[in-house]
Formats: sequence, structure tokens, C-alpha cells
Amino acid sequence: MRILRRWRHPASWSIFRLDDRLLLILIAVIVGTCSGLAAVVLNRSLIAMFEWLHHFRHYWWSFIIPAIGAALSALFLDKIVKEGAGHGVPEVIYSVSRYGGLMRFRSSFSRLISSCLTIGSGGSAGPEAPVVMSGAAIGSNIAKFFSLNDRQRVTIVGCGAAGAISSIFNAPIAGMVFSMEVILGEWKAENIVSIAIASVAGTEISRILQGNQIAFSHRLFHVGHLDIVACIGLAIIAAAASILLTRLLRSMHGVSKKAPFPIWVRAAAGGCAVGIIGIFLPIVLGEGYHPLRTMIEGAYAQGIGIVTVAIFAKILATSFTLGWGGSGGIFAPCLVIGSLAGLTYHRGLILLWPSVSWVNEGCFALLGMAGLISGMLQAPLTGIFLIVEITGSYEVILPLIIVSIISTTLCHYIEPASFYLKELVEKGQLLRQGTDGSVLSDLSVQELLEKDCITVKQNMLLRNFIDIIKQSHRNYFPVEDEKTGHFLGIIHLDDIRPYLFNPLMYDAVVLGQIMDTNVEVVYLDDDLSEVLRKMDANRVFSMPVIADKKFIGMISKATLLDKYRKELMVQTDL
Amino acid sequence: MHTQLFHIFRNTPLGRETLLQSIYFCKKAVSSLIIYIPEFTKFLMYFENDVVQIDLDNSYLTSPETALKHAKELFDQGKIKASFLEPKNFTASTLPDISTNFDFMCCPRSISDLSSKIGLGYIGPRVRRIVNSARFPVLITSPVFKKWRSIAVFFGGSANAVNALKLGFRISKASKIPLNVFTHAENTSKESYEEMIKNENLTEEMDRYVTEWHMFESGKFEENLYDVPHDALVVLGAYGHSLIRSILFGGKMEKIQSIITNNLLIAGPNYALTR
Repeated sequence: MRILRRWRHPASWSIFRLDDRLLLILIAVIVGTCSGLAAVVLNRSLIAMFEWLHHFRHYWWSFIIPAIGAALSALFLDKIVKEGAGHGVPEVIYSVSRYGGLMRFRSSFSRLISSCLTIGSGGSAGPEAPVVMSGAAIGSNIAKFFSLNDRQRVTIVGCGAAGAISSIFNAPIAGMVFSMEVILGEWKAENIVSIAIASVAGTEISRILQGNQIAFSHRLFHVGHLDIVACIGLAIIAAAASILLTRLLRSMHGVSKKAPFPIWVRAAAGGCAVGIIGIFLPIVLGEGYHPLRTMIEGAYAQGIGIVTVAIFAKILATSFTLGWGGSGGIFAPCLVIGSLAGLTYHRGLILLWPSVSWVNEGCFALLGMAGLISGMLQAPLTGIFLIVEITGSYEVILPLIIVSIISTTLCHYIEPASFYLKELVEKGQLLRQGTDGSVLSDLSVQELLEKDCITVKQNMLLRNFIDIIKQSHRNYFPVEDEKTGHFLGIIHLDDIRPYLFNPLMYDAVVLGQIMDTNVEVVYLDDDLSEVLRKMDANRVFSMPVIADKKFIGMISKATLLDKYRKELMVQTDL
Repeated sequence: MHTQLFHIFRNTPLGRETLLQSIYFCKKAVSSLIIYIPEFTKFLMYFENDVVQIDLDNSYLTSPETALKHAKELFDQGKIKASFLEPKNFTASTLPDISTNFDFMCCPRSISDLSSKIGLGYIGPRVRRIVNSARFPVLITSPVFKKWRSIAVFFGGSANAVNALKLGFRISKASKIPLNVFTHAENTSKESYEEMIKNENLTEEMDRYVTEWHMFESGKFEENLYDVPHDALVVLGAYGHSLIRSILFGGKMEKIQSIITNNLLIAGPNYALTR
């Protein structure tokens, strides 16, 4: 029976507890494999759904297909799994930042199904963010099964995200970099080992099941000096497109929230709008990987006017899809918009300087993709490595770096937080592990209560109070109302110093006369950052904690520092 | 010691009964009441190593315009002060996070399923997960408000049962209500149970708080439950046994909750006595 009882707590098995790093590596393999599988499943499902629905695309009513898909997706999320719409990456970052990566089990499959319905039916979104959420939730639940601590769980959540991105793009380095740069927001050797292993596992699963193919095959580009200089202009256009997409997505979301209809009706309306745009510009439908390949190969036949219109159409379609309740991510739309921006820019250059020998337009499509990804995510390394890996174009690394860095910098200047982080930052909920805000948010006033204070009544004589001081090692004495027990004020030892050496006053002064009634107090549900701010503003080291108007203890900077250090160690040590 | 009970208010007659139970518990256990009037049918509770999504039954959103007034009326009648919880953090825009930093939580037998399902022998899956994950004990109320005049602790000797016994002492000490201990001896002598109490250094508390220790050495456990007073708050531990044993033989908590109608105060495996 003892053996069976231990089955409930696998984390306590001695084989797993020999070395925590080995345990993390083992779990990283499992998580990378599972999240890789999730990515493959979504990829294959999308292909199957696209092929199945392809036969209906030539009918006049085909514009309602994205509407039906989006409505089903919203209904599934709202009624069956009871989750919110959207891509889910902010949820992953939020859980990492506030709750040590704790995520619900249902999140490991919910977005796979909902995004399959949205994107498969033609919604303008990508499958990457949903698989990131799925992978992260798989990681979180496996970490929970092994009873890992918060710090380890966060690493495993990062492994899940890395495995998913690595698998869906067949790009292990991009997966690693995305996880560290966007999800965890920190670069630590302890994390890198596990995340790298999860990336390899995810990529290998994808290669075994789908073959070792680069997502977008390329031709060799010969990048000249002029092309590199011209990249600056492309970076500016990519940054502008990123800002436009970010703002339109958010404003669509705001408008949609105000609409007095159920979420599935709103999602259907958004899907319908996408379907109508898709009749005129089919490039906006779905993830858009097929036209991407054509653009990278330099074989996209449409003229500059249509390509320019397509940029705005894709931005609008993505905003309608995701802002109105559809499910999916922004990775794939960013790639499409970026490549369209690259193409437009290249064709503009040719129009302006026809005699200059520019590099093939496919190269600018790649650079545009990197610019959009870097701008939207404000994660330049992710943009650079992703494009290098999914196209195998290492020779464009210099202009890639230039475009990514300039685009990120410009976007950061205009929108200080990336698309994923904007809402969290606005609500003050982005607390990266090991930072002051994160440590303080993990502590509560209740945990820091010091209950060894002696309370006194307001009618107590100074003589009696002096006897109490002899028994206490504290400098603060809360004063309570004799009848109600309500907190009235506080006496500091300094307050009685003028009377201490005058025994005549011992029977003449009562505590109610000398107590300080103008005291800032703390409540149990106060944020510790606010408590610290009050302490600093009032230049005090201790404050009374009140509940139901009654004194329940003191909170001091010394205890706070002690707990702060312990919490910081928990958050930063593996 | 200042303690808090968390209550999710349902603006229905059943919700009224549940709130009356919470108010009574707070008065007896000298605890303050924290009420949450939900705006959405779902919220998240982040525990130490688990996150539980509570999908509330739609009846929790009944007549939101009168919910606050009804709740205030009840605790004004009960002459108790309560504070209302406003969620500060949201995992998603319609998914608030509710703190788990309480000392007690009150739940009806189910909070996710339709209230028509609530009955003896049924505890909803969400309530079970809260019991399993929470560091605080969960007060599972009977459908109709009833004052309890004694405390009945089930003590079977397990670590969880010891926690339940300590919890019983705590409530008895705060409420000054007599405490009875019930033990169904399973091939174990009374001396062995007394030895367990001694090993846990609880002899003094046993003498101080326990009015009577009912030791059932014969008869079926289910039949012996008739001796539990109808107006007692039943305190017990839950999910203390291994998964295999629970699946094969079922837990004592399942038997108790399917037979008696009393209010139950359940200490789960993560219940922290230090709180």
C-alpha cells in the first residue's frame, strides 16, 4: 500500500529527485514532444480542413464560410470549454508573470480546436499562438503532475512554448529564442538547457511526422550595399504596418466588446467581413502560407497597386477575425503583411530607380516579414532567427538584423509595450519573475503580520503603561477603544519620553491624551507595493494592520525584507 | 486571531440559505465575511500547485441589480459586518482571479452544476477540486439554514483526521460550542487511538474541549452515523488516502456526505494549520 500511495506523488520518487536539473531535462523532452505533437496535429487539421472547404470556395455564398467557422470557434470557447477568445499568448505571459506558470488543463487543447475552426474556415489568423498556448499549458500541467516548484514550472512552460514554435516552423532556434525573449522575458543558463532540449524534441517530432522541409524554400539572394541601405526604408514601412495592425486590432476589440450581441454573433460578423474581403482578395483568407511561398520565390504576379491594397486588406481582415471573437494568432498574418510590405517597397524602388540593380523582390519579402514580426512582438531576435530558419537564407542576415532592429526600435518608441504585453502593462499585471513587483505580488499582508504587539486601552494611566513597556520589546503600542475594541491610534515610545522622567505625570496622563490618532493604517487586502509607498511617504518602519476597525498586528519593513529575500530566492533559484 | 471566510453570493432563495449559514459560521467562529458577487459565470482560483476554473451555475448571476441589496439585508439582520470582494486581477477580460488567501470558504454542494442536482451524496467536481487544492477548510452547507449547537469531529487516525481534529478544537475554542469526537474503530483498539492522540500531543486539548468521544466498535459505519446530532457542525478530513485505496474502497468523506444532512467543514490534504 505504501508503494501505491507514493504513486500519487511521482515528484517524490527518488529516481526523479536525484538531480533537479536532470529531472527538468527529462520533463523538457516529454513536454517538447507533446507540444510538438500538438503543433503537428493542428497543422494537419488545418490542411485537411482547408482542402475540404476548398471545393465550396467558388460558390457565391462562400463568404459565410469564415463566419460559420468563427461563430463555431467562439461558441466552442464560450460554451464548451468556457474560455475567452483571442490568441492566448498574453494569458501564458500573465500566468508566468503572476502565478508561476500555472495554467488550466483545458487550455492544452481548447485553442487548437477553436483556431482550427477559425483559420480552417478562412479566418485571417495564424496557428502559432494557439500552439504556443497549448504547448505552454501542456508544460504547466506536466510540471504540476511532477509537483515542480514555481521557478521550475515557469521553465517547463517555456519548454512547451519553445517545442510548439519549433515544431510548427521546423525551426528549433526560433522556438528557443521566442520562448526566452517573449514568454519568459529572461535569459538564464538554467532555462536555456531545458528549453533547447524541448525545441529539439519538438522539431524532431515535426520532422518525423511531416518530413524535414524548410517552411519556405528560397533562392539564393545576392544582397548588395545599396540593398542594405534601402532596408532602412523598409524597416520604417514595417514599423508603420506593425503599429497600424496593433492599433486596429485593439480598436476592433473595443468596438466588438461594446456591440450588444453574443460573442458568437460578433465572431460571425467579423468572419463575414473577412469572407467579403476574401472574394476580392483571396490572399487575406486563412494563414496565407501559399501566397507567402510565391512572394519569397519572387513570383507574385500582382501589380504594386493590388499589393498595396492587399496590405491594408490583410490588416483589416486580421483585425476583423481576431478583434471580433475569432481564435488564432498574429504570427502568420504578420508574415503575410510583412512580405506584402516588402514587395510593395521593392516595386516602389524599381519605379523610382529603374536603372539600379536591386536584389530579387523575394529578399525584400523576407525582410518585410522579419520587420513585421520584430515590430509587433518587439522581439528582434525572434524575427531574425525565425526568418533565417524558415527560409534557410543566411546570406540575408545583415539586412535582416538592420530591418529587425530599426522596426523594433521605432515600434517601441511609438508603442512602448509589444502587442502581447500592451494590455498586461496597462493593467500593471506584467511582473517578470525575480523583479520587485513580482516578489511583492507574491507576498501578502497576512503573511507579514507581526502579532506580538501589546494593545492598550485609551483610559490607561501612564503609570500602568510603564509596567507594560517593561514586558514588551516593541516600540509601538496600539490603542484600542475599551468598549468596542476598535483601533484608535498608536503610541510610540518617543511619545511618552517627555513624561517618563516626571513621576508627577504618571497618574495625571492617560494614554488617550498622548496617542497619535493621525496614523496611516494598512488593510489585509492592500498591495505591498502600496504599503511600502505609504511607509516611505510617512518615513515609518512599521504600520498597524486593521481589519473590521480592529487592530490585528503590525507590518514592518524588517519582516518584509526578510520575506522578500526568501521569495526572491524562490523565484530566481531553480 | 483574525480569520476570514470567503462566500460567493447567489441571489436566489438557495443562495440566501447558504449566506445565512456563512453568517452564522462567522459569528460562531469569530471570523469576518468576504462576499463576492460574481459579474461573470467563471473565475479562477490559483492555489499552490493548481489552478481551478470555477464555472458558476447561471443562477449566480440572477438579478444582479438586487444582489447587493439582498446580501446587505442578510448580514444586517445577522448583525455582522461583511466586506465585498472586487477582483483586482484578470487572466482574461471576463475571467477574474479570486484570491485564495482566506481561512475558510463556503460552498454549497455544487457551484457549477444546476442547483436542482444538489442533494445528498452529490458534491460537484469543482467543489471537490477546491477541497483537494485549498489550504483552507471548506464549509459545505446543507440546503436549509440550521443553527449548529455542537461540533462533531470524525477521527479515524489518519494525518488528515488529526488536522480535522485540530480544526475542531479551533472552532470549539472560538465558538465555545461543545465538541464530540466520533471514531469508527476498524480493527483498532481504543487504546491505539488514544496513543495516536498522545503522539500528536493533543491529550491536553482532548481533555479541554471534547465533551464525549464516541467510539463505535461494532455495527456498520453508515448505521452508526445516526448517532451524530442533527444540529452538529461535522468536521472531517478528506482525500487523505491513496488514489488506489479511494477508488477501491471509497473514502469516509463520501459515505458521510451521502448519509448525513449536517453542515460539513472539510479539511483537504493541503489544509495548512498554520493559517
